Amino acid sequence: MIKKIFTFVSFLIVWLIFAGRSSLDVIVVGIAASLLTTVLFGDMLYQRIEQRIGLLGALRKGLLTFLFIPVFFYEAVISALKVSKHVFEKSPSFSPGIVKVKTKLNNVSAITVLANLITLTPGTLTIDFDRAERAYYIHWIDVNTREEAEARKAIIARFERWLGVIYK
Amino acid sequence: MLIREIISYLLMGAGGVFAIITVIGLIRFPDVYIRIHAAAVVLTISAVLVTFGVAVYVWELFLSTKIILIGLFFLISNPMATHSIARSSYQQKVALPRVRSVDEYADYLERGEK
Repeated sequence: MIKKIFTFVSFLIVWLIFAGRSSLDVIVVGIAASLLTTVLFGDMLYQRIEQRIGLLGALRKGLLTFLFIPVFFYEAVISALKVSKHVFEKSPSFSPGIVKVKTKLNNVSAITVLANLITLTPGTLTIDFDRAERAYYIHWIDVNTREEAEARKAIIARFERWLGVIYK
Repeated sequence: MLIREIISYLLMGAGGVFAIITVIGLIRFPDVYIRIHAAAVVLTISAVLVTFGVAVYVWELFLSTKIILIGLFFLISNPMATHSIARSSYQQKVALPRVRSVDEYADYLERGEK
């Protein structure tokens, strides 16, 4: 039940932001639309919210996610600059390869966010995720280190700590 | 000229420069997957910078929030779309490079087909 109410409220907030004004008819239509969407699709979002410690945990998670957005954006800008540097090399030459990197996370959203972060990091691109072994397959422009531990350190160790704290 | 307008012009100009760099990279890089790298990273940042610049330029509460939300959706959805394109083009064997230093994904695909 908490899950449905939470879904409904967040849908309504997004509706109000996109509507841009808060007159009565907008709110009534928004409530109807959010209710319909919640009844139809409410089970797909926030899959494990009952298992958490409640409101305080949810607040902490939201705050940490909000703090994490600037970090995400900063990493993306830095990586864009690095790829741009590759573009202006005289003869761009690479030694591409696909490596397998295991992760310790087991939350679905954390795995998704980490896959996005890997894609936005320079030189790496997530291709697939193996559910059985919890391993990413990552296309890498320059494969320097064959050792898995070093590869893991170079790619995902920084973000894994953040995500491990957020999605505990 | 307001300082707000200068900031917004800077953001939008940086986004445009990144978009041009994306196109040059798409032409110059040697191979499908490396071109996908250019499209994934640089184009995402270009779109997000342009949306942020527009949000600063407009400078109303609801409208700016809406535009920033669109930018954040870009930041989430563009890597996912890129990953999907790369994965399906690998599985359909589109333009696989002949020489690769290491390829562990091929083993995974063979295991999956058994």
